[in-house]
Amino acid sequence: MAPLTSPVAITAWQCQSVAGSSNAALRQALRENRCRLAPPGFVSLPFPTVVGEAPDPMPAIAPARKDFDCRNARYALAALEADGFRDTIETVRDRYDAGRVGVVLGTSTSGIYDSEQAYMHFVRHGRMPEDFNFFRRHAVQATAEFLRKELALKGPCYAVSTACSSSAKALGSAQRLIHTGVCDAVLVAGVDTLCRLTLRGFHALDLISPSPCRPMDAERCGINIGEGAAMLLLEKTCRDNRDCPHLLAVGESSDAHHMSTPDPEGKGAEAAMRQALAMANIEPEQVGYVNLHATATRLNDLAEAKAISRLLRDRVPCSGIKGLVGHTLGASGAVEVVATLVAMLEGFLPGTCGLETPDPEVKLQLLRDPEENDQVAFALCNAFGFGGSNASVLLARSGMALASP
Amino acid sequence: MNHSPAFSVYLAGWACCSLDETLPGRLGFPAVLPDKRRIPASVRRRTSQAVQLALTAGLLACEDAGLNPADLPAVFASAGSEMQVTDRLCIELAKPDGWISPTLFHNSVHNTAAGYWSIVTGCQQPSTSLAAAEATVAMAWLEAWCRLQSGARSLLVVCYEEVWPDYLEPGVGLYPAALAWVLSDLPDNAKAILGRPEPSAAALEGDDARLAHECPALAAAPLFRAVSAGKTGGDMALGAGWSIPLKSCGADE
Repeated sequence: MAPLTSPVAITAWQCQSVAGSSNAALRQALRENRCRLAPPGFVSLPFPTVVGEAPDPMPAIAPARKDFDCRNARYALAALEADGFRDTIETVRDRYDAGRVGVVLGTSTSGIYDSEQAYMHFVRHGRMPEDFNFFRRHAVQATAEFLRKELALKGPCYAVSTACSSSAKALGSAQRLIHTGVCDAVLVAGVDTLCRLTLRGFHALDLISPSPCRPMDAERCGINIGEGAAMLLLEKTCRDNRDCPHLLAVGESSDAHHMSTPDPEGKGAEAAMRQALAMANIEPEQVGYVNLHATATRLNDLAEAKAISRLLRDRVPCSGIKGLVGHTLGASGAVEVVATLVAMLEGFLPGTCGLETPDPEVKLQLLRDPEENDQVAFALCNAFGFGGSNASVLLARSGMALASP
Repeated sequence: MNHSPAFSVYLAGWACCSLDETLPGRLGFPAVLPDKRRIPASVRRRTSQAVQLALTAGLLACEDAGLNPADLPAVFASAGSEMQVTDRLCIELAKPDGWISPTLFHNSVHNTAAGYWSIVTGCQQPSTSLAAAEATVAMAWLEAWCRLQSGARSLLVVCYEEVWPDYLEPGVGLYPAALAWVLSDLPDNAKAILGRPEPSAAALEGDDARLAHECPALAAAPLFRAVSAGKTGGDMALGAGWSIPLKSCGADE
């Protein structure tokens, strides 16, 4: 039996990425579909690549919260300060009660960029710098605690860290917190920032592309890493938020195959998508768009393509945006859900930046360029991670499309 | 579907695994050493203390519950997870000519134990890996409670911590240990009946508070001590301002 959850409204969202600091900038970038990736500015690497680096300076952390000060927290703060997002959350907090509003973060890097600097000091001097704070900067829940303090929220607060499916799974945890009545609203954040550990680690696995990545392309040669901070505010459904987009379900599965490569047939990916549909009682025929995980490694792309072919055949438009903003790792689920919402609500579907000649083994209806389409009622967003950790997020354009409760 | 805070969950089995032989004295219940025979050599060779503790405790908890590990969704929780692997990688990164091992890199993710768990048991059910610093165990209980109220019939929870390098968070990560339990929505043969975790003024006290600080995975030690002694404990503190109602021990309700 599939897990049972009820839909929740997505009443606000914000996304920071190389595409810009406002939702309008993201929308513009999705429309233009022009690669924003460039050689890294602040990280030096012994190999060539391009990355999706934050284009604007990040805000400073207030002195009262300096324990939390790291690149990840600053990028999260940038999202709070953009598009009036902080005001929206504070209004919702006051409407419900701070104890009824939770925070669930999805991250894989947390503050490790700053720890890398601290370790330079450690290797040189035999001790960590005076202000090093593992729990409040490096540990994976650090940015969640920062957001909770920043917004004076008092509900449950934790991080899901399942590599590249982290923030997609965080959406599932948040939905359950509301469904079970623990919370009335949950702030979901997907935040990952560039660091040498992930760049050099993926390079050691021979997965980094020296040039802009080409998801699902016959000539693809690996991933580009990006940084991102995406936030979504989930609220219990009510008459006032019925016309907001809704999160219907997050399907999850485990590959039970390998730590760093997916099951080659995409069985786990298929199981996650099927579970999402079953949980929400949505038929495959009702899905109008799939936002692909499409990292641009051969194994990942083919596994996902096979899974979607079995589930949806070649009927559904599919695209992936990692050629635009890079692979934002643990943040990618939230970043790409926001990108899907931003496009869907504007009446278009994103293209697949970097795709020129589709891999002949990929039997999908791939969108190279953005496409005008205001007919999509339901969309899937995929996120798959190391450890065979799969998640597929099922979205509805509006609560109006759902049967009345 | 019952969505009330009173929704009960049933403890079907549990186990504790530790490398420290002084620990059972402080816990008040037994803890076994990691069991090499239960973990295939190919996995044992390439995995950390954290993974081996988590796998052993998880397998023993399933055995205690009489359930097949491959059938259970799982919640893995650790404040630090792969501390030693990440430490080694960060030291390499800080050297001018440091070498990054691809295996160490993919073993540095927070969900490494969950990944190897699914590989070793063949379990394709959903799993998650979470962290909440001092509240890690409380949030693991909450996530598990929510999953059981959202259609999961039974699930495994594994809280684990390996020994942390002493310069990262001094005083934390002193004990390598894993505590795992299986929860079910069925009362059959339940070892205890528990309610929803709640914010609470109940705090861990004395040596239990010290132990939860030294090994955050052991914040539920007083709860399992009460279970093993057959006591109904009322609200059991989980640390970080959370507690869980222990409604009854034994399948006698």
